[in-house]
Amino acid sequence: MKMDRFKLALLPVTSVVFGIFLLMLIVYFTASLPIFEKEGLAIYTTNVWKASETGQEFYGVLAAIYGSLYTSIIAILIAIPLSIGFAIFIVDYAPKRLKEPLIVATDIMAGLPTILYGIWGAFVLVPFLKKFVMEPLYEHFSFIPLFSYPPLTGYSYLSAGVLLAIMVTPFACAIIREAYRMIPQVYREGAFALGLTRFEATKVLLGYIKPSILAGLLLAFGRAIGETVAVSLVVGNTFNINPSLFAPGYTISSLIANQFGNAFIYKYMPSALFAAGLALFVIGLVVNVAGLLLLRRWSYAKA
Amino acid sequence: MKAIETVDLKVWYGSKQVIKGVSLSIPDKTVFAIMGPSGCGKSTLLRAFNRLLELNEIARVEGDVKLYGKSVYEMDEVEVRRRIGMVFQMPNPFPHMSIYDNIALGVRYNKLVKSKKELDELVEWALRKSALWEEVKDRLKEKAAHLSGGQMQRLCIARALALKPDVLLMDEPTANLDPVSAGKIEELIYELKKELTIVIVTHSPAQAARVSDYVAFLYMGKLVEVGKTEEIFENPKEELTEKYLTGRMG
Amino acid sequence: MRKLKDRLFVAYVVLATVLTILPLFHILYCVFANGVPVLLKGGLEFLTGTLPAPGEGLGGIGPAIVGTFVLTVLATLMGLPIAVLTGVFSAEYPNSVIGKATRTLLLIMMEFPTILVGLFVMDILVIPMGSYSALAGALALAIVMMPYVAVYTEQSLREIPSRYREGAFALGLRRRTVVFRIMMNLARKGILTGILIGIAKVAGETAPLLFTAGGSYTVYFQGIDRPIGAIPLLIYQLVQQPYENYHEIAWGASLVLMLIFLAIFLPIRLSVKEVKL
Repeated sequence: MKMDRFKLALLPVTSVVFGIFLLMLIVYFTASLPIFEKEGLAIYTTNVWKASETGQEFYGVLAAIYGSLYTSIIAILIAIPLSIGFAIFIVDYAPKRLKEPLIVATDIMAGLPTILYGIWGAFVLVPFLKKFVMEPLYEHFSFIPLFSYPPLTGYSYLSAGVLLAIMVTPFACAIIREAYRMIPQVYREGAFALGLTRFEATKVLLGYIKPSILAGLLLAFGRAIGETVAVSLVVGNTFNINPSLFAPGYTISSLIANQFGNAFIYKYMPSALFAAGLALFVIGLVVNVAGLLLLRRWSYAKA
Repeated sequence: MKAIETVDLKVWYGSKQVIKGVSLSIPDKTVFAIMGPSGCGKSTLLRAFNRLLELNEIARVEGDVKLYGKSVYEMDEVEVRRRIGMVFQMPNPFPHMSIYDNIALGVRYNKLVKSKKELDELVEWALRKSALWEEVKDRLKEKAAHLSGGQMQRLCIARALALKPDVLLMDEPTANLDPVSAGKIEELIYELKKELTIVIVTHSPAQAARVSDYVAFLYMGKLVEVGKTEEIFENPKEELTEKYLTGRMG
Repeated sequence: MRKLKDRLFVAYVVLATVLTILPLFHILYCVFANGVPVLLKGGLEFLTGTLPAPGEGLGGIGPAIVGTFVLTVLATLMGLPIAVLTGVFSAEYPNSVIGKATRTLLLIMMEFPTILVGLFVMDILVIPMGSYSALAGALALAIVMMPYVAVYTEQSLREIPSRYREGAFALGLRRRTVVFRIMMNLARKGILTGILIGIAKVAGETAPLLFTAGGSYTVYFQGIDRPIGAIPLLIYQLVQQPYENYHEIAWGASLVLMLIFLAIFLPIRLSVKEVKL
């Protein structure tokens, strides 16, 4: 079989991309080895951060893993109703002149520099949530574990979760919107011909695109969990594993961002942070691949 | 009382007029065929009957459509669609739902049964009526996507019948089916007309001749000729009709 | 009752829309409301001056602006060729195993946590070099930018009707001529869009720069092997400081960043409608 010369010429370039990715994987593994040798899996399963220049270091990033998952889950829970509702509005209910501006607005939100979300989050959202949501809830419902932590500063899992929700909803919405828009007209007509109301027909059609909705939310989750600056400015950056929404915490990305500045003074801290990064790498990879696969396979239902 | 009556019906898509003043009456419990060349407005006409046109943002309707004497525009459109069922050219059972649920769907939302037992019975009844029961009775929970084209179309007929409509609209129901399946459907139509009025759009004069009692010939949005099938086919009064029937027109 | 549910449903979708879009307007509003006074107070000096000491006025964010510019240009230079060529490869060989794998990899990398890219570059460049540098920052940004440009390139090439491709081959032209002289030309609008989107994105990125560029706000550009600042990075660092004047500078810088972003992003986004062949 004669190899296309063009292909051969381009191959090295494409390999660079693969190469970078593989190199990243290798770097993270090798940089994490020291801490694995020292602590084994305890790096992931314990919540401890003992930095010491005299050799008694011990690190455990469980708090960060917990925080990443907790805040991202909050974000997705908020994003589910919002992104689906928004998508339906754009496709079914929005007046013609509103459709395009809404989509442009969505794209702007998805591309806006995340630091802008961060500064707004820190100076505007956090005080707002603290005053109007956290304090009232704490005052009246602190017996519920979710609300049991005193909101002293407002920097918390809740603030991070809400900010992340604001950031990823447009992204999830775009995916769901496209899938919903592309449902073949025959199914739309079929649903209404059965004498269903708008609401009922929409429910049926949403069932048709369920894989896409799932994919959109998975990819949004991946985005949320990888977000760094916006989150680190509102989450509180505290080693904590607390079920309360109002407690401050860490996420993997904010931990890295926050601690790496002074990590080199210590022997094992850089390695610990790389190990945390490795965890994020793997989680991000799994979630994004799953989302992409679902998105590709969604036409399973086409008759 | 006529099952369906249109009064000077006009339909525009945007600025283009597609139906140009059609007035016809469809007698009760008959098979009424609407035939004509492609693009003459047959499907649009059908969708005016059950107000499905309203799904189209640029569609505009003038004139009236009456169901047993009452204007469909004075009724709740959801009620209209329950009483006037529709089967489409492209079989469209919901592929992500089971055979059972496809039929149960309309029944549940329209609150036509009071118990699961009644629902089961209704589903079986509908499947028997559409000659599909024997083929799927053991796999009601399977997804509808696994059926053949002909089976899918019969499923669509079943789920329309389950709503106990007065009228069944069929938009070129056999156009996408193989001859054997098409034949089965035509047999079905013959059986069903004893209980409800069927309006069938077809691009095949031969099919119209086979299944219908009355036929209307639509050309470029205008009603050219209408009457009893034998009369129209043996003695078309209009030249256009004759041209269409003898195949000198597309 | 069914009708009631229908109406409640409308209320829900409208609410969802408002809740999703409202933050955007609020953010824009806050950045303007807080940033414009700073810019007015600081005047032109704000754009050309350097960072003052805590509590000593507004000074300027000049080095950051220059830094963002330098980093973006460098990143584009580094990443563009590879990205475009990879996009071409992906478009030309969509059915080969490597082609499909490339496309998947690009999509994965588009969503990859950018902090991890920064950390990676730190490990392979900053540590050996012994200092933060513009080069490292640009490399991190280039890696972030590449998937976007590559995917847009691929998409634009794929959208060209096959008759143009076939026609070119039928003329007896070699593959490389067909692709580079004809297809790329036809797809240039889409490719350009991709490049600009990539630029808009990396100009606003912070995380990749955290441990690569280092940040330098009291002196201007010193060389690509020396630390360099960037507007997003500056904002990030200032927000975490307790000083009032630093917060003001942060809002002013945010306004500048937002204007830069919108200036690049809006024109492209609004013109994409007319990409037709």
